[in-house]
Amino acid sequence: MSQAGLAAAITTVDEIAPEPRQALRNLILALADSKRILGIRYADWVLGAPELEASIAASSIAQDEWGHSRILYALLKDFGDEPDQIEHEREPSAYYSIEALDESLATWPDFVVANAITDTALTIQLEALSESRYAPLRQRVKKQLDEERFHFGHGRAWLRKMGQASDAARASLQAALAARWPAIVSWFGPDDHGALLSEAGFSDATGGEARARLVDRVAPIIEASGLEVPTPNLDFSGWDPSSRRSRRGGPDSDAIARARGDRNRTFLMD
Amino acid sequence: MPDKVYIVFARKARAEPLRHVGSVHASDPELATVYAWKTYDEERWFEMAVAPRDAFYPVNRAEAPFNIVTAQAAEA
Repeated sequence: MSQAGLAAAITTVDEIAPEPRQALRNLILALADSKRILGIRYADWVLGAPELEASIAASSIAQDEWGHSRILYALLKDFGDEPDQIEHEREPSAYYSIEALDESLATWPDFVVANAITDTALTIQLEALSESRYAPLRQRVKKQLDEERFHFGHGRAWLRKMGQASDAARASLQAALAARWPAIVSWFGPDDHGALLSEAGFSDATGGEARARLVDRVAPIIEASGLEVPTPNLDFSGWDPSSRRSRRGGPDSDAIARARGDRNRTFLMD
Repeated sequence: MPDKVYIVFARKARAEPLRHVGSVHASDPELATVYAWKTYDEERWFEMAVAPRDAFYPVNRAEAPFNIVTAQAAEA
């Protein structure tokens, strides 16, 4: 981090003006919700992956994502949110999770695309916070990024393995990618989304910059797997900058029940 | 690419020797590294490395414990 950045480090949100403070809070919630739902989607494959080792990896990376979301939810206390309410009480429509994870990962190609591409989109967003002036956030990013290296390795290796396996496997992967790609690249918002945070030193990427970084990161692994990078028409007409979603309603109710821990309420402790 | 057995080595501190902690089946080295890290996660390892089992040459025993050729691999 630069000397200027260190000098300007902020340890409590009271030091942040209301507008960027709200934007930063929304960004943390979007990451936390996306990671919570991603953990649930990964967990669905703990018993069904094509290899024993992949099942073990799915279990481990699901726990990583769950852990990351807990760390991020806890940060929201500083912003005036009640972490217990955020984690356990919200309706699906209040979730800020990435739309690409609204449905379960029905097939292994769906898992591979979520692992290699959707998870990487979240990582790109997290990386943009690794030099944030808001110290409590910056300090919690590195460990998550260390773990994400293995998620990316797993996703990249499986993308390559399936892409090279057969025409049918490659076609199913391309279809899974095409279905999710528009929601993944739209998640970063219009090109100038987040400019407020970027200019104030809380993030180092606007929506357009983060999207370009994602494409730079994943296009080589998509192409090396014999697949094509889809080219969606980005349309932000119904896009909500707080939740970073166009679709209302949130993820399916089963995923939300699991995200909230509905069946474990009796075990909740103060 | 067919699966290979990769032998996993790890140590908890720089001062320790690497030790053999187990093995994973994987179709390429990158997947082997991820599988190894995620499977043998019982410690906070200082260092972990993997190598394909067929890179090892037995010295004093034709069937050293981690060099045993499985029936499936022998047929391939």
